[in-house]
Amino acid sequence: MKTIILLGALLFAGTIFAADAPTDFAAANKLYAEGKFPAAAAAYETILQTGAQSPALLFNCGNAEFKAGNVGKAIAAFQRAELLAPRDAEIRANLDFVRNQVQGATRRENHWQNWLGTLTLNEWTGLAVGAFWSTFILLAAKQLRPALAPRLKNATLTLLVLTIFSGAILAVQTMNHFSSSTAVVIAAEATARSGPFDDAQNAFTTHNGAELSVLGRHDGWVQVADATGKNGWMSVKQVAILPGA
Amino acid sequence: MRFTSRIILGFVAVALFYGAAFAASFTATLDRDTITLGESAQLALVFEGGQPDNMPAPSVPGLSFGRPNTTSSQNINFNTGQINSTISITYPVTAERIGRFIIPAITADVGGQHLTSHPLRLNVEKPTAPSATAIDSGDQIAFLKLSLPTDKVYVGQTVVAQLQIYLRNDVLRSSQPQFTGTPMEGFALGKNGGGSQSQVQIGNRVYNVTPIPLALTVVKSGPLTLGPFTANLTILVSSGNQNNNPFQQFFNQGEQRQLTLATETLHVQALPLPTQDQPTNFTGAVGDFTINSSVGPVSVAAGDPVTVRVQISGHGSLDSVTLPDQTALSGFKIFPPTTKIDVSGQLGLDGTKTFEEIVTPQNAEVHEWPPFSFSFFNPDDGKYHTLTQAAVPLTVKAVSATTLPPLAKNAAPENQMPADILPLKQNLGSVGRDSVEPLIAKPIFLAAQAVPVIAFLAALIWRKRTDNLANNPRLRRKMAVAQLVQSGLVDLKKFAMENKSDEFFALLFRLLQEQLGERLDCPASAITENVIEEHPVLRNAPKATLEGMSELFQLCNQARYAPVRGTSELNLVAQKFEKTIRELQEVKA
Repeated sequence: MKTIILLGALLFAGTIFAADAPTDFAAANKLYAEGKFPAAAAAYETILQTGAQSPALLFNCGNAEFKAGNVGKAIAAFQRAELLAPRDAEIRANLDFVRNQVQGATRRENHWQNWLGTLTLNEWTGLAVGAFWSTFILLAAKQLRPALAPRLKNATLTLLVLTIFSGAILAVQTMNHFSSSTAVVIAAEATARSGPFDDAQNAFTTHNGAELSVLGRHDGWVQVADATGKNGWMSVKQVAILPGA
Repeated sequence: MRFTSRIILGFVAVALFYGAAFAASFTATLDRDTITLGESAQLALVFEGGQPDNMPAPSVPGLSFGRPNTTSSQNINFNTGQINSTISITYPVTAERIGRFIIPAITADVGGQHLTSHPLRLNVEKPTAPSATAIDSGDQIAFLKLSLPTDKVYVGQTVVAQLQIYLRNDVLRSSQPQFTGTPMEGFALGKNGGGSQSQVQIGNRVYNVTPIPLALTVVKSGPLTLGPFTANLTILVSSGNQNNNPFQQFFNQGEQRQLTLATETLHVQALPLPTQDQPTNFTGAVGDFTINSSVGPVSVAAGDPVTVRVQISGHGSLDSVTLPDQTALSGFKIFPPTTKIDVSGQLGLDGTKTFEEIVTPQNAEVHEWPPFSFSFFNPDDGKYHTLTQAAVPLTVKAVSATTLPPLAKNAAPENQMPADILPLKQNLGSVGRDSVEPLIAKPIFLAAQAVPVIAFLAALIWRKRTDNLANNPRLRRKMAVAQLVQSGLVDLKKFAMENKSDEFFALLFRLLQEQLGERLDCPASAITENVIEEHPVLRNAPKATLEGMSELFQLCNQARYAPVRGTSELNLVAQKFEKTIRELQEVKA
């Protein structure tokens, strides 16, 4: 009996937190509307800490952080929102707006990366897998019904090309997701050091909101490179780390 | 020897004593009393009979005295036995202005005597161009000429003045001219160039002519004057005592002269640009120009940039060429243009000025980049000209309002940076968990991708097997017989259980025929007991197998005459059949 209750609780856990999230979301929105931006940002963060996330939640969190003066946290929130909803024009508009407020050199996606980012990693996966399955189903159909082979030839070829193309992009995006990260500076002014130590020599200084490439990690430190190629180590407390795709 | 030396030394000492005791003199002279502004004269201070105790330093307001050059010499007068020593100090003198200057008397102490020179007069005159008569006579060793192509110019017009340096062909060498005055009231000097040297004959003399073209832009109207240009020139001319001795000619170093040259003054009438018929879009371009323009891309969305490139080429002052004011163009936001000038020729008067401006159509109602006009004044014909480029059709799409309604609703005015971020989203949307791994990282998802591959492989194997059977009738028969035997064994056991002897042996006989027929590749109906001994395939079969088959055939024959058998006996026969038939299936066909 206890096992059944536990299983039921696990099955409905998502529903339970989903039921609370809209209420908390509305409360946070109200704080924002009242101009209590730091409180609103904290309220959104609280919802996010429960494990819930949605593009709207991250978008509003980014807005509140920006209004509270936390440009870096705002950029991180908008970027996370964009990873979930890459074609949301409002997220893109606010991300661009906040990026324009950042001082100094910062990393930017190139056109190719922007194009890859129009689909989420799961969407690229779905596209590649759909093409892959379709290709093999058609190949199997040709074996089972040889009479259909001439009619399926063009469709099979098209799907095969699509499989190769989407598979290559999926490989790139998977590599980006797991090995290429972005660090967004969330401290007012962060100093990158020449080594992962507090007393290491200063390498360069960046401002709140600067986006840096992550090169490596070590004991609470992250090795980063800025847009000009300078690299150094920063404490993980100074940055928000985002997946590459 | 020692005695002789002492006598000579004593003679010299006495001679020097006498020389020193001789009355010393001091004179100051100028090599000429009149120079032109820019020329230099030589002031020589000559001391005879002794060295000056103090070096006099002349000083006259308006005159500059250069670094002195000191020379000394001694002459022995063998008639009188006197030795005259002379020290000469030479100063180059140049004037800073035109006028009459007096170099006052200079006092020097020489050998204990207080000596004073006479005052000297130096007239400094304005350099003038030599008269036409003087030029034509060929007496002028060098002179300058300045000319303009016209005496009537317009404000803004660029004209090329020709300055020519004439050097007579007996000038061996000359320095670069140092221009001391280039008055040009109402002109702005542009670039200057250099042309190839030529020779002309004037009178009976030949001159080398070096042209220096000057680009001059008229900056004001009214009577203007150009010149006189003055220049200092150092030349080396062959000295006049040359003869036909080549040896002497070879070592003739020539005579160096410092010259001051001047051009005549040119008078020009500068006319203002006519106000009559002046186009409204005239921006001050004076010259002769052509225009070329391009617009692209021509199919854009509202707010997208379109590059308008205007090239104005021709002759004239390209620096002063500007585009007409376009800020009033409705439907476009126009950014300030960038300019680039490519000039050809050493004076930079011919070339192309390229304007590149970014314009953004503001809305979908914009259908064309309007006609573009450029006006200039051509001083050659004294008229204004207007060049017009036709309108360029544009396809401007509206920014989609249906796909992005929230953005359109909240967006700032087009082509302006939004003033603030877009407002909050009110709908939370579907909520997921942030710890969810991407599909590509889930092992079960990756394993599932094997399904279509396995399905395809299964279909492929099935296909291959089907094709193989279709193309191999013996295999097909072998499989059919094996299936028949398998089901026949079941029936045999069933008949045995039911004690149906006739059906049992009829089936047994048929199964033997089918199996042997398949092994021997002949029709089943043609199989009799005799084939066991006769057929070559069965010669390699085990003897026990052959005996088993013979026995089964004999049992079948006996059953026709004594059909009644017990169940146990039939079961034994069935087992024997099964054993024999398995061995037969192993026989290589």
